[in-house]
Amino acid sequence: ITDNILLNGPTLNVLASENFIHQSMSIIVENAIKKATDVREKVCEWRSPEQLKELLDLELRDGGESESEILQRFTDAIRYSVKTTHPRFFNQLYAGMEPYSMVASFIIEALKPSLYTYEVAPVFTLVEEAVLKKMMELIGWKDGGDGIFNAGIINGLSAAPRLVMFTSQECHYSISKAAALLGIGTKNVYAIPSDERGKMIPSALEEQILSAKSEGAVPFMVNATAGTTVLGAFDPIDVIADICEKHNLWLHVDACWGGAALLSSKHKHLLKGIHRADSVAWNPHKMLMACLQCSAFMVRDKTSLLQRCHSARASYLFQQDKFYDVSYDTGDKSVQCSRKPDAFKIWLMWKALGSRELEQRVDRALAMAGYLAEEIKKREGFRLLMEVAPVIKERMMKKGSMMVGYQPHGEKANFFRMIIISPQVSRQDMDFVLDEINNLGKDL
Amino acid sequence: MEQASLCDLNEPLIDHAEGQFFLSEAFKIIMEEVLSNGTDVKQKVCEWKEPEELALLLDLGVRETGEPRDKLLQRVRDVAKYSIKTSHPHFFNQQYGGVDYHSLAGRFLTEALNTNLFTYEVAPVFVLMENEVLRALRQLVGWTEGDGIFCPGGSTSNMYAMNLARYQCFPEVKSKGVWALPRLSIFTSPESHYSVKKGAAFLGIGLDNVIFVKVDDRGRLIPEDLDEKIELSKSQGAVPFLVSCISGTTVQGVFDPLDHIADICDKHKLWMHVDACWGGSVLFSKKHRHLMKGVDRANSVAWNPHKMLVAGLQCSALLLKDTTNLLKQCHSANATYLFQQDKFYDVNLDIGDKSVQCSRKVDCLKLWLMWKAVGSVGLEERVDKAFIHARYLVEQMKKREGFQLLSMVAPVIKERMMKQGTMMVGYQPLGNKVNFFRATVFSPLLSQKDMDFFLDEIERLGKDL
Repeated sequence: ITDNILLNGPTLNVLASENFIHQSMSIIVENAIKKATDVREKVCEWRSPEQLKELLDLELRDGGESESEILQRFTDAIRYSVKTTHPRFFNQLYAGMEPYSMVASFIIEALKPSLYTYEVAPVFTLVEEAVLKKMMELIGWKDGGDGIFNAGIINGLSAAPRLVMFTSQECHYSISKAAALLGIGTKNVYAIPSDERGKMIPSALEEQILSAKSEGAVPFMVNATAGTTVLGAFDPIDVIADICEKHNLWLHVDACWGGAALLSSKHKHLLKGIHRADSVAWNPHKMLMACLQCSAFMVRDKTSLLQRCHSARASYLFQQDKFYDVSYDTGDKSVQCSRKPDAFKIWLMWKALGSRELEQRVDRALAMAGYLAEEIKKREGFRLLMEVAPVIKERMMKKGSMMVGYQPHGEKANFFRMIIISPQVSRQDMDFVLDEINNLGKDL
Repeated sequence: MEQASLCDLNEPLIDHAEGQFFLSEAFKIIMEEVLSNGTDVKQKVCEWKEPEELALLLDLGVRETGEPRDKLLQRVRDVAKYSIKTSHPHFFNQQYGGVDYHSLAGRFLTEALNTNLFTYEVAPVFVLMENEVLRALRQLVGWTEGDGIFCPGGSTSNMYAMNLARYQCFPEVKSKGVWALPRLSIFTSPESHYSVKKGAAFLGIGLDNVIFVKVDDRGRLIPEDLDEKIELSKSQGAVPFLVSCISGTTVQGVFDPLDHIADICDKHKLWMHVDACWGGSVLFSKKHRHLMKGVDRANSVAWNPHKMLVAGLQCSALLLKDTTNLLKQCHSANATYLFQQDKFYDVNLDIGDKSVQCSRKVDCLKLWLMWKAVGSVGLEERVDKAFIHARYLVEQMKKREGFQLLSMVAPVIKERMMKQGTMMVGYQPLGNKVNFFRATVFSPLLSQKDMDFFLDEIERLGKDL
């Protein structure tokens, strides 16, 4: 005993702890998996913030609590959380429950690896490499390239004279955030107008590039979006690539949402030209339903650009005198240090399902959306006004029957944005969405 | 519009029963391989394989068709088998390790609920919970108010602090970029984590503008030299704006003298950031918190509970003293598809715009559940115990002859320990010192025997060298 502390034994009672894990797992399976995906249950159990604070008793104290108290807290956390795996959760660009990916996530949580070196994460280093290779194959890069799975932060370039980049007005707002963070400045992100379908207008892009040059600025990059956040539009990548080639600009394709279409022989034409991109972002945690986070960033480069741009060569991690091939230590490609092996979440499910099944799911999601669009046209009265959407949203949440997001867009008033991803969703759910909006808004 | 597809849209495409059965079978394997065997001192820490051999064993290629359940369960077993058991009592390699079952349960739940916490509407429980956890952490720093956010790692926390400091000085940088600014300079010790350098490069500040301050023979930043270097930088026409100091350096675990550094930052009006990713947890300990005396005078603190508190990756908090909503102003983009202002609840709860991320994982549950389970006192005990283990180790090493490691020896011993799978300890050079082992000891599973084992094993492995 030293300083009144017993050093001879571990502080943790492993047997009791394992029992606790088993019990908490049962609760998870029952409430967060079975009930959460059951269409007869609610999507959400709405409480106002003040009520919820009280219910959860969040305060952290000096003393601990009993196991049964902790398990109750566990149950409460599930109860009042939104069931994003519910068949009627259409609110965001992620949804649905993919058990193989979830198992991969559980493995990751249990093993707690960090992905900077082969020595601490041998399996996951190789898995990430294999997944990126497959994804780059789908993009169409015959010579391969480089890449990394990262926590949703855009990779940047160094500063020089006033640099200017171009993106569609429909692009994801992370472009703007990245420009601010990287020191490029949001004013130096030129927004190119889009057509009525939400696709970037190439001639406008050409104009703005020339205009920027005449201002004395240096255009350096174009961001094309494959699957915009609100309208799901696909920029004409091939034509944009022509322009980038002509002006020697880096072409990045934000395919975070739309990348999944590359798996579908029917729909991959939407990304025609993507093999000409210099870099691609693709998030399997969206349409492919891999557990969050699962975002890949790939570069069509074989000169170790990623490493050269980001490396700091920390000697406590990336010793050069290791006993294995240190090119497997991928950590210095990242801006992060500790990094989770997110690629594993898509790898295990891909192994389980195969590319053909993934293709089927993508096709189905698109078909479902097509069905919904047809149904809306058939129904009278489906034109939403500004004040109506927030009220209907409030009602659906308090009832817990479904979740659909709304937003304004350009000069358009609020409208609902339906995101359809999960293969658990069926035609009846589409009918339900329209019926429910109707019901909830009848008196408005 | 073409006819809705070949597949029948009337039926869900997923077989839930199969999925759930797979989940329960896989879970048994995880429990057995990772949590039972993985924490058993009689089992190996790692099952070493060369990369080419491992690639073959794992059969990594993805294919057109799926695989049967048994094959997949075998894959689960293989992944567990060939992965490093970071919870093993003899894993001393990194600043994360060990196991806590409450945080583990919290992590499993986080995965099962699969959501982001950008808005109250999609993550009501977790928005409130993150708020409370940050408040409690700030209280330990000594702040009754403030702001903060969980980031995907300490590197990001350090980077955010850099960005905030720059924005506070020059808010126009957000719209106009670095071209609108004079040359900026940052001050840090050479012992700092490499994310300070990566951050400077990433943010467009430039590696050349990261100025390294001298350290004493213990590795602590020398405040007088900091003062001098700031004056020098100013005289060269640059604008100093940030000092990034450390509580618990990566390699030696050293604590910079925060109070003195705060004096200098006050004098020159610089943002003081404390990278307490590793050392922050001493704030739980009445005995050891003096190491961070003066931390309440900082503008920002980065603290990773996934390190010494064993919360599990990722769990990294950035805490701010600021109460002017600086975080949100600096990062916001006001996206209308997420942050509508006409929502039916208080939209200040939609914290997403404080982050540079859009999707952001729930990292607070694992810490909150553990904290609730063992209390602040329980966490204090762990920190105190970790210090004692380290001290015991040092005393023992002094008693043993021959514990002076040469450059060539460490890599060989490392290779042997990994191929035998008996333990994992990292080594690295430092400055002009040759390779030495760095043992990180804090897992609640550790006991004195493990410290003895560590020393015995190094001796055994290196006997012939």
